[in-house]
Amino acid sequence: MSEHHITPLKTYLVIAGALFCLTAITVWVSYFDFGSLNIIIAMGVATFKATLVALFFMHLLWDDKKNLTMFIMSLMFLGIFITITLLDTGFRGGVNPEVEYPINKRAAFYDSLPLTDTHGNPVDEHGTDSHEGDEDHH
Amino acid sequence: MAENQKQNYLTHPKGIMSWLLTLDHKRIGLMYLFGGIIFFFLGGVLALGMRLELAAPGNDFMSNETYNNVYTLHGAIMIFLFIIPAIPGALGNMLLPLMLGAKDVAFPRLNLASFYIYTLGALFVVYTIIAGGVDTGWTFYTPYSTTSTSNVIPMTMGIFIIGFSSILTGLNFIATIHKMRIPGLTWYKLPLFVWALYGTSLVQITATPVIAITMVLLILERLLGIGIFDPALGGDPVLYQHFFWFYSHPAVYIMILPAFGIISEIIPVHSRKKIWGYKFIAFSTLSIAFIGFLVWGHHMFTSGQSVFSQIVFSFITYFVGIPTGVKIFSWILTMYKGQVSFTPPMLYALSFLFLFTIGGLTGIFLGAVALDIHLHDTYFVVAHFHYVMQGGTIIAFLGGLHHWWPKTMGAMYNQTVASICCLGVFLGFNGTFFPQFLLGLRGMPRRYATYDPQYAELHNYSSFWSGILGLSIFIAIMNLLWSLRKSNKLDPGTNPWGAMTLEWTHTSSPPHPHNFEEEPVLEHGPYDYDKVIVEPTFKK
Ligand code: HEM
Ligand SMILES: [Cu+2]
Repeated sequence: MSEHHITPLKTYLVIAGALFCLTAITVWVSYFDFGSLNIIIAMGVATFKATLVALFFMHLLWDDKKNLTMFIMSLMFLGIFITITLLDTGFRGGVNPEVEYPINKRAAFYDSLPLTDTHGNPVDEHGTDSHEGDEDHH
Repeated sequence: MAENQKQNYLTHPKGIMSWLLTLDHKRIGLMYLFGGIIFFFLGGVLALGMRLELAAPGNDFMSNETYNNVYTLHGAIMIFLFIIPAIPGALGNMLLPLMLGAKDVAFPRLNLASFYIYTLGALFVVYTIIAGGVDTGWTFYTPYSTTSTSNVIPMTMGIFIIGFSSILTGLNFIATIHKMRIPGLTWYKLPLFVWALYGTSLVQITATPVIAITMVLLILERLLGIGIFDPALGGDPVLYQHFFWFYSHPAVYIMILPAFGIISEIIPVHSRKKIWGYKFIAFSTLSIAFIGFLVWGHHMFTSGQSVFSQIVFSFITYFVGIPTGVKIFSWILTMYKGQVSFTPPMLYALSFLFLFTIGGLTGIFLGAVALDIHLHDTYFVVAHFHYVMQGGTIIAFLGGLHHWWPKTMGAMYNQTVASICCLGVFLGFNGTFFPQFLLGLRGMPRRYATYDPQYAELHNYSSFWSGILGLSIFIAIMNLLWSLRKSNKLDPGTNPWGAMTLEWTHTSSPPHPHNFEEEPVLEHGPYDYDKVIVEPTFKK
């Protein structure tokens, strides 16, 4: 810490004001439904606020850049963890062709065959099980 | 010199409180060493108990339930109470400030706090043992760990607490390396052990919080039934494995990187030759630390994770081999045309090269997803990780103890006994674990107390040699302790190996309580054997 940066009070107040405005925005947008964008917008605003806090209130903007590097690195590791873990859950079962291309029991190929459910029991045209109570019948 | 002799950190100041409340990194290092050795002994006894049970098929010596407890405690104690804290905590604390020419670490009080946090965590583990043990395996996989009636909570709580000790030590070391170097000691003049500790510390502070939160989630799931890992509640049991290995694969580098650092110190000194490829070794440390974060899924090839992840993880795993190979070749080239002397530390370093290479290469086998489907959870994996953790880390640790013993304790052990013990460790180790590769290839699963008769011969062989291994380590440590008797003091100017890092050239053995009487002035690099001659001195 060779030189100490003294932040003027005004900067703090401006940032605090910005944070309040952003909070208001978060509340305001929650009244609209953007569908799948909801989460992205909410997280985007929150991330922006967190960045302001880190840069100005935590002094990362003026500090030795090593501190900023450390901070960004920790975010990067979090990113690695989440991304690669999602590579798993996102693609799970992908090795089974029927997951990627589910079998369509109503395809033309099956027209000559009686319709069956996943256990091979015959079903009627509307997809409901026509056999009742004969689970143990082999 | 005469007055100097009285002023060393071991004898000054006096009294039990001066040890328990000490802020001196050297004393804290010794306390870690003491704690580590106790748990090493405990873990070792458990291991020999398992080998006794496995010497013949059938439950001759313990029940299946006992066996489950024994292997869980063995693994958890060795990893969380000995290997991970012991090298950075003991040798790292002891040597880091000395190597930097500093008076102490950056935050001495935090350093003492880390030690007591470690002690507190250890008490939880001891409580677990007294309360009847835990039987989930050191990995605490769900769903078994959320349903097992054994003491999962105190054990995981202990690991949670010890994690903080690890993080604080890492933080302390990073600050020390950045801020406490004497003028002129630039990054490329640092001993490679310091680089190794730097890489280790980075992994400690970035990975350890994840194991801590994993343990908390596990405890919460057990206590409150929140559905993080239980599919019935919307959770995912494989997620536990992601969490666990996101820490525990990097953790294997917390275990091995300091060992690499020790080897990088021992080999040039005992070959009297400048280290080959200084920058290669330094940067391979950092790249191992980084790549280590991208490969955790190679522990999960049979867990049901997606095939896409299997391929990605398998592919990235091979990359670990590159920086590791760079180091091995650099060490071999350092010895090439050097004046290699077969002192006990060097014998340990040579054993390390041999054993770690086997361990690392079999790791690459296991990283190949198709092969691992067959080998996962067999004795092949057991043999692999013992070759790297015991053949690598523990052998390097023993080598480091023998190398720095005259420095830190001011006494020289019986070198003949030490060399014979090293040979015993080497033979005993291979005799114990090489058959386990064969057992694994033939399909012997891990974590069972009994087995089919066709495995009996190899198991029997393994058990026999484990006795030799245990005995050799025991005698090696007794030999070190025996050297501490009163009549065996060394002259404080002793530098028996003719090493040229600051801890050898600028302070007495054992060091002054404040490390250096005046701030050292750097005269040469850590391995300048081509430029300067430092004669070995060895006087009683
Ligand atoms: C050369 C680099 C290495 C590679 C490519 C590698 C690869 C692997 C792989 C693929 C596995 C999973 C095997 C399975 O469960 O089926 C494994 C297990 C393991 N490795 Fe390594 N490894 C390497 C180095 C190390 C080092 C240096 C250590 C520790 C010092 C280590 C400690 C372990 C442990 C403890 C396990 C087993 C954990 C368990 O399931 O209980 N490995 N390794
Ligand atoms: Cu791994």
